[in-house]
Amino acid sequence: MSFDWAAFFEYLPRLIAAAGVTLQVSLLSLALACLLAPILALAWLLGPAPLRVIVRAFIELIRGLPPLVVIAFCYFALPKLGVVLSGFWCGVLALGVVGAVYAAEIIRSAIESLGKGQFEAALALGFARWRAVLEILLPQALRRILPPLTNEFANLIKASSLLSVISVHEISQVGQSLIFETFVVIEILVQMAVLYLIIIGSVTLLSRRLERGLGA
Amino acid sequence: MDPVFMGQVLVRLLPPLGLTMLVSLTALAIATPLGLALGALRAELSDKHPASRIIDAWVFFVRGTPILIQIFAIYFLLPKLGLQPPLFVMGVGALVLNSAGYQIEIGRAAVQSVPRGQWEAAAALGFDRHATLREFILPQAARRMVGPVMNELSQLIKASSVLSVITLFELHKAAEAISSANLRFSEVIVVEGFLYFVFIFGISLIASALERRLSAAGALAGAGSFAR
Repeated sequence: MSFDWAAFFEYLPRLIAAAGVTLQVSLLSLALACLLAPILALAWLLGPAPLRVIVRAFIELIRGLPPLVVIAFCYFALPKLGVVLSGFWCGVLALGVVGAVYAAEIIRSAIESLGKGQFEAALALGFARWRAVLEILLPQALRRILPPLTNEFANLIKASSLLSVISVHEISQVGQSLIFETFVVIEILVQMAVLYLIIIGSVTLLSRRLERGLGA
Repeated sequence: MDPVFMGQVLVRLLPPLGLTMLVSLTALAIATPLGLALGALRAELSDKHPASRIIDAWVFFVRGTPILIQIFAIYFLLPKLGLQPPLFVMGVGALVLNSAGYQIEIGRAAVQSVPRGQWEAAAALGFDRHATLREFILPQAARRMVGPVMNELSQLIKASSVLSVITLFELHKAAEAISSANLRFSEVIVVEGFLYFVFIFGISLIASALERRLSAAGALAGAGSFAR
């Protein structure tokens, strides 16, 4: 086993381009997750009983499925229901929903960890329930939410590798097809691993700094 | 939706479900003692120790790359080294590589979470470090590990679905094969999802019940996440 630097540099540009796709799909699904997660969490905490049951069931369902199954559902089953998305947007949708469910759990448990007293005090002062949550509890919970949330972002990036099965041209898909095309194994595997380590490592670093900075 | 077809799919997916459980449980049985022991060792060693550096590198690689890359590493590199084990062994190997990396952190956190005073009290009673670890620290740490380790099993079941990319016929690969052979995707995915959900949700119920029972002993909560 010798390391072929010529091959390494020959294929590097294609993998760097693929890393761009990995970043795009991860950031877009993070945006979708950040949009959906507070809605799910607030519906669980404040919604009327039937809505709470539905939201909880949905969260437990997604948490009980491998992300690969959610991705396959979006790609193969949604078209039957009339929703046709390209592989890329399908990936954004699947990862966004999975990410949202886990982020909703983080938000809910952070708000619940503040204790009932805060909520009761706000109600006693005449705040409406939703205003008490949005204006009193959520800002305090934010310190406990941000560090695990950046951690979830790292998980989203890892999960984006699964989109290779629906031929999104991200790092894993491009690397895998290059390996089968060229039989250059070690050099390409090293590139894939290093690119992920750089991306995920910087997100993890950010998460640690947030944890220290916010003192949570 | 055709209930008769779905019934047939359910029956055909039972053996692959067995393989999913077998590969996950085998990996857990190897990765748990390995990971927890290395984690306890890591808690004991200084950061500069050579063994610490190896353990840290393992954790860094496993947590910093998707499990797919770890599976590829095993699948493509072992043949380069002249080894050609069966797919099942490669699958277990990849899951062990991954899970032990995460459990090292569990073991380390559990040992470090035992209060410092316990060490000092044992030292005052004349126990050496080794005996203190064995008699006092590890039994307390073990209770704290129960929740996270149960949680690890459901993580492994989810992660084992990724072994479909190296054509191991576990639940996800089998469902994929059935759905593309019959060109009926939604029904197969619903059945597949049902099977995964029943097991993963069931395990998480047991895990949280155990966590509640042990919470008086300061059990660490299992942190679920969705991707490896």
